[in-house]
Amino acid sequence: MKQKNPIANPLIVLREEFDDWAILFDPDTGNAFGLNPTGVFIWKHLDGKHDTDAIVGRLREEADDVPADAAEHARQFIASLEQQGLVGYEVQT
Amino acid sequence: MRLMRTPKKVDISITNRCNLRCRYCYHFESAGDVEGDLPAAEWFRFFEELNRCAVTEVTLAGGEPFIREDLKEIVHGIVRNRMRFQILSNGTLITDEMASFLASSGRCNYVQVSIDGSMPESHDVMRGKGSFAKALQGLMILRRHRVHVAVRVTIHRKNVNDLESVARLLLEDIGLSSFGTNSAGAMGMCRKNAEMVQLTTEERTLAMETLLTLSKKYNGRIQATAGPLAEARGWLDMEEARLWGKQLAPVRGCLSGCGCYWQDLAVRADGAVTPCTMLSHIELGRINRDDLVEIWQNHADLGSLRGRNRIPLSSFSFCEGCEYLQYCTGNCPGLSYTLVGEVNHPSPDACLRKFLAEGGRLPERSLLC
Ligand code: SF4
Ligand code: SF4
Repeated sequence: MKQKNPIANPLIVLREEFDDWAILFDPDTGNAFGLNPTGVFIWKHLDGKHDTDAIVGRLREEADDVPADAAEHARQFIASLEQQGLVGYEVQT
Repeated sequence: MRLMRTPKKVDISITNRCNLRCRYCYHFESAGDVEGDLPAAEWFRFFEELNRCAVTEVTLAGGEPFIREDLKEIVHGIVRNRMRFQILSNGTLITDEMASFLASSGRCNYVQVSIDGSMPESHDVMRGKGSFAKALQGLMILRRHRVHVAVRVTIHRKNVNDLESVARLLLEDIGLSSFGTNSAGAMGMCRKNAEMVQLTTEERTLAMETLLTLSKKYNGRIQATAGPLAEARGWLDMEEARLWGKQLAPVRGCLSGCGCYWQDLAVRADGAVTPCTMLSHIELGRINRDDLVEIWQNHADLGSLRGRNRIPLSSFSFCEGCEYLQYCTGNCPGLSYTLVGEVNHPSPDACLRKFLAEGGRLPERSLLC
């Protein structure tokens, strides 16, 4: 069984309110989670076509001063989204 | 204040019909009282736009939302479009089947039910014979199905002496965690029935004192954003600020009394988009014809409403020489429009100086909890 790229749960609402900050809203629970601009960038690339390295690669193309350990942070961030049911993976069997 | 890209919540008058005709209804005989309900298909299209705008919740109001035969389909439309909802109701048409459906939707924040008395006499006198029993039954059905219920008590001349028993009924006998209060405002039908409905200055003084006392007794389980309890708290703060030269937040001394059009929009039963249900006469556009984001970000009328908080109270002859000037917000523009015909004016109904001049008294500050 091979895990594929992360995919944002399509039920979750990305609400961009001011500047590049946003909240993720889960209509089933009513819970909301704040996202900083990097989080928003990552969320928008959770489309099943990018793995974490590819997302961080895109981030480096678009933003200056991306820290060296960004890939690790991105992995942790995606893992925390997964824990909260906001992100899933397509599974190939 | 900074403007969000899209509204967070939209208040929808889903129907213009109601099975009751309450004597203080703010809807009927106001600008929101418009002919003809839109078919569900129109609302579905609009919900899709709300989904694209990342609106997270809608309030279904009326009239009486449960009168719509297709309410379940409408709720399905909301759920499909990733939103949550609340329903404002008189409670009398709620059935077991409907409550079970709402619970199973998983998206209902709450149903607000109006209970205005501890007994039929003080409720039915304004809402019609038999409505107390039915509303109470609706409330119990919702609770049985674990749908969150928010009870609203509207205070008027015939229940102002019944508030202690109302609190006992709702908080002790029924066991609600809290309930909200307001009072019959000078809008819609209430204007016609003002004599019978609206509190006199003496009754308002009594209501403030009673509600503060009860709120303290029940550890803050009685809430209010308008009406005598909210006024008592707000006015006591203004008085204290005046006496001790304190600063109050948010911005005071300007028409900063309402900020709902920074977060929310409203839609009338005929599909007209308005800034708020209290400002139904201001038509900003029409659903499924005009772009909601364009309205939200660029409509001149919304821009001027949002600029109200820069208009100093000192520019109104109404406020000339008032000691509370730098502590006051001028309150609700909807009420001001109804009473003096202008949105950009302090609301005379919420004027502390006027209340005191007419013989009103503020409660003891020690009653605050
Ligand atoms: S106040 Fe509510 S229940 Fe009463 S008539 Fe108006 S819409 Fe109907
Ligand atoms: S006159 Fe009334 S509305 Fe004007 S500042 Fe004084 S209290 Fe406020």
